[in-house]
Amino acid sequence: MTAFTAILRKDLTLELRSGESTVALIALSLLIMVVIVFALSQAGARGAEAAAGALWIALVFSGMIGATRAMAAERENGCIRGILASPVDRAALYAAKLAAAFIFMAIAETAAVILMVLFFNLEFDARLIRIIPILILGLAGFSAIATLLAALSGRLRAGDLILPVLIVPLYVPALMAGVKSSGALLAGADFSMVAPWLKILVAFDILFIAAGCLLFEHVVGED
Amino acid sequence: MSPIVRTWLGIVSVVLMITALYMVFVYVPTEATQGIVQRIFYFHVPCAWVAFAAFGIVALSGVLYLWLGQDVWDDLGYAAAECGLVFCTLVLITGSLWARPIWGVWWTWDSRLTTTLLLWLLYVGYLMLRNAGGDNPQIARLAAVVGIVAAIDVPVVVVSVRLWRTIHPAVLLTRQGGHGLQDPRMVATLLFSMFTFTVLFAWLLMLRLATVRAQTRIHRLELGLALAEAAAQDRYSEARSIERKSIRSS
Repeated sequence: MTAFTAILRKDLTLELRSGESTVALIALSLLIMVVIVFALSQAGARGAEAAAGALWIALVFSGMIGATRAMAAERENGCIRGILASPVDRAALYAAKLAAAFIFMAIAETAAVILMVLFFNLEFDARLIRIIPILILGLAGFSAIATLLAALSGRLRAGDLILPVLIVPLYVPALMAGVKSSGALLAGADFSMVAPWLKILVAFDILFIAAGCLLFEHVVGED
Repeated sequence: MSPIVRTWLGIVSVVLMITALYMVFVYVPTEATQGIVQRIFYFHVPCAWVAFAAFGIVALSGVLYLWLGQDVWDDLGYAAAECGLVFCTLVLITGSLWARPIWGVWWTWDSRLTTTLLLWLLYVGYLMLRNAGGDNPQIARLAAVVGIVAAIDVPVVVVSVRLWRTIHPAVLLTRQGGHGLQDPRMVATLLFSMFTFTVLFAWLLMLRLATVRAQTRIHRLELGLALAEAAAQDRYSEARSIERKSIRSS
């Protein structure tokens, strides 16, 4: 637990001083939203479902670019070696990196939600609060996969190219669940109507966080 | 696996495949509503079965490699992924050929189609990772991790895409417990075809496994040869310098 807090605190302190990741993630989310609005016709860029779709596209694509950075920063000055040399449980290291990725993405996602309301002419009302649990579950699942796979692809020459090819198909079930349920909730549906999708998101998160904790030691080796 | 077993497996799968073709094109009656197009089904379903089985082998050999650390499991996973991708591609192609006259479209986002497409994409990701690895000694562990993670994903994919409305015909088992194959000859052809494709897959997998293992061995020999050459080069230049010294001194 102390290892977890120590690594997480290091990442958060770094981020507070430089602001690199969050600023980049927010800027990317903004750009992706703008691209979507331009790419869809005026008729297409309207309504709760289109808004939810845009929100999740922004999440996936900004998240993928953010994920490559998270482990690259550790590698740049050999910080990862120091961590690996210390008697830190690999699962704790994974959990800390996951938590850091989750926090950075959550900040960017908050900005993306505000942009979504502005761009798609939605209202700032209770419906936005109701999609928060969906977003938290979706982000947790994404961070779980992205942290594991970014650590993995970062060790290869063309890793940056491989990472999206691995992340996107894996994330599709959570993406389907997230888009469908947040679209329905934004359109005013009841929580009971999206319950099956919520279950899928919870199962996805549990499976991949557990898999990440177990498999992370095979991914961060000595190199 | 000895080459003799491989040869026999090859002969058996050729004989089985010719018999299966005879059954598909001559023996089995034409389906009443869909017509001749339905015959592609006897290749489509076995391909799907083999593609999913291959994926199971990739995941299982990934677990065994991480657990036992023997190279053979890594090679098996690699070979199974390559063969699996071939059959998964065949599923998508034969499915499209059937869907065009029956459904009127090449592709639709039905649950089984989506699942198969995602499986195909996962295979592609796995093989891209392997190719990017080159001679990185860690690639076996990384690929094993991806294989396992992908296998965890497949059940979640199946459940989540099923929540979308499905239009794929439930041929083998419907909700009522019956199946869509009225004629016993159809069942016989399907079962025989599935057996044929399983044997074919086993043969291809063994051939590919032998190639992968040979490649690994050649790679090791080349490394050893390079080391030996370097050592010999050292000794040669040493000998030359001694020779030169001795000439000078005489």
